[in-house]
Amino acid sequence: MMRKSLGALLLAAVAATMLSACSTGQGSTESSGNGGASGGVTTIEFWAAPNPTQQAYWQEMAKAYESEHSNVKINVSAIKESPTSEASIQSAIAAKSAPTMSENINRGFGAQLADSKALVPLDTLDGFQDIVKERNMNSTIEPWKFADGHQYVLPIYSNAMLFGWRLDVLKELGYNEPPQTYSEIVELTKKLKDKYGDQKYLWAKADLADPTAWKRWFDFYMLYNAASGGNKFIEGSRFTGDRKAGEEVLAFMDDLRKANGLLARQVTDPFENGVGVFTDVGPWTFTTWKEKYPNLKYGDNFALTMPPVPDGMDPKDSKTFADTKGLVIYASATKEQQAAAIDFIKWVYSDAANDAKWFEQTNLPPARDDLKTNDSFKAILDKQPELKPYAENVPNAIPPMDNAKYNDLQTIIGTEAFNKVVKGQISPAEGWANMQKAIEGALQ
Amino acid sequence: MDHRNNKMGWLFTSPYLLYSLIFFFGPLIWSFFLSVTDWNLIAPTFNLVGIENFANALKSPSVHSAFWVTYKFMIIFVPIVTVLATAVAVLVHGLPRFKSLFLIGFFLPYLSSGVVSSLIAKGLLSYTSPMNVFLRKMGLDIDWLGTPLSALGIVGLILAWKFTGYYALILTSGLESIDKEVYEAAAIDGVTDRQRFWRITLPLLYPSLYTTLILAFGVTFGIFTEVYQLTGGGPNNATNTWQMEIFKQAFTNLQAGYASAVALLASVATFISIFIIRKLLEIWGKRNGWV
Repeated sequence: MMRKSLGALLLAAVAATMLSACSTGQGSTESSGNGGASGGVTTIEFWAAPNPTQQAYWQEMAKAYESEHSNVKINVSAIKESPTSEASIQSAIAAKSAPTMSENINRGFGAQLADSKALVPLDTLDGFQDIVKERNMNSTIEPWKFADGHQYVLPIYSNAMLFGWRLDVLKELGYNEPPQTYSEIVELTKKLKDKYGDQKYLWAKADLADPTAWKRWFDFYMLYNAASGGNKFIEGSRFTGDRKAGEEVLAFMDDLRKANGLLARQVTDPFENGVGVFTDVGPWTFTTWKEKYPNLKYGDNFALTMPPVPDGMDPKDSKTFADTKGLVIYASATKEQQAAAIDFIKWVYSDAANDAKWFEQTNLPPARDDLKTNDSFKAILDKQPELKPYAENVPNAIPPMDNAKYNDLQTIIGTEAFNKVVKGQISPAEGWANMQKAIEGALQ
Repeated sequence: MDHRNNKMGWLFTSPYLLYSLIFFFGPLIWSFFLSVTDWNLIAPTFNLVGIENFANALKSPSVHSAFWVTYKFMIIFVPIVTVLATAVAVLVHGLPRFKSLFLIGFFLPYLSSGVVSSLIAKGLLSYTSPMNVFLRKMGLDIDWLGTPLSALGIVGLILAWKFTGYYALILTSGLESIDKEVYEAAAIDGVTDRQRFWRITLPLLYPSLYTTLILAFGVTFGIFTEVYQLTGGGPNNATNTWQMEIFKQAFTNLQAGYASAVALLASVATFISIFIIRKLLEIWGKRNGWV
């Protein structure tokens, strides 16, 4: 009998040890099990982007907020990337251990979460309209509205994606400024190839032939938004693409291919090393360039422009893709936590100095309409003039689609049209038609 | 006495049984459950969809490609790694000294990170790499990772580089176990080097060779890191493996139910394939009188 009990005890000990090894340690905080409220203190869990700069920023904000609001405790931690930050959030929701709020949410993933009723419509919370007003972000947030009319994500930053041009090479070809229309660029490509042969290409980027969904944000969408004046492409679950603009974009890529101006092959930093003279550039790039390519000087050997437009369009009307991410509040949070979370956001964005701090620390332009005019950002933009065109174009940048199937849909753009045109496997008109058919099929 | 031994046996195997229960059978049952739902793990509700996920997976072109790509990798990887590992084992076995040192040297790639080796390969195959610049001067312009056949070949070669040393280690221990007197007797009978390898070494090495072949075939069902880093499954799904497909569906498209169905189909394909391969290897051994 004794032996039997000992055996059972040992077995239980082994099981307990193994099970405890599986624990993440979550759930042991004071926020668990009581809806995040304990002794009059509401605890909220904030998941920040998995990079030290953003994590430090939010920790600083949380600390400052807590010092003024003793009834709220904010635990800031980085979203785990196991294997991706989206998958971590998915697992947390499934395991009923979702945070109160998190940042780093793109609109497509926001749509997936909203579709699954995992998010709180922010516009239904008291204080949301005050944030939009106080942060001066009416225009910027407008295209973020979801098909059901709600706002589920509050954009934190908005990178109006721009194209970089190697001014030094352009000058060698007799250009003082980058060309702005399709025919001008094709003409430049011919001159480039005449001078450099296979040493230089207009656009050298392996991603042009890669169907991975997010890669379309930095080629197709930039050009398409410019050509279509910011057409939505997909609205809710309806394909609303502008055929004329889409075919023009594909024809432009086809013309560049025919002129041997595209190199969809693996090259180490092609723009930085001068193999390509034109490429998409985000503001996060400059930190790397300062360390790795200090020879690249804005206005001296590289320039930044909005995407080129089809002939006959005014380049000043160009739109672009907004690489933008924002904040969400999870539906699983208690009412107290939701109220505390929205109040925290309101507190952060009621002072432009906090956005200025963000901009300075991350180089990511805050998603607001007055970046160019608000004095809080003047010193930063004067110190880093390469950020000015990004600040100017925040209102001209269109965020990603709000469809939960965005991964599938954007993969189709590549596999049926863009990648094939780049490889010369299909005509632009046929590519667009095939893509439209496949997207409409996927949307059903 | 037997009764007590049984209890002790259960006690000592219980950690493994518990481990299997928690980390193998539990997830397996969970996976079966997910595969018959349309749940994405986020939504508060889900629908039972029966075999719909399996039917969709069986119709999906990317699942078809994952199925065939595995066998394409088999055709490339298994012969290369077997020949190389056998060659390394024979060479090291024949060394008078420092056998262990050389074996460790060949084994090191197995310990290296797949991410790092893939990034190095990416650099070597870059359009502007010295090798490609030289080849272009010779009139050869190859898009290594953008052409289906060469992309398959590159990934196959990286894997062969990684696993050669590991399999060579197994084969060397097989060679060490062959009685030297057999070779001495053969030498007295005037056996040539070629006859020695084909008639003595290979038959006596069969058990080790059998192990390495099964391991090598198994590797092709689990390829992920190299493909993820180098090609992302492209071009045109030419390198889209089972693991790559499961990853995309589960972690990019967040379709947990569908991804579970694909994972279960992958495990069935793996089980049947390995079973057939095992049988074929046994028939091969029996026909030649090696077992």
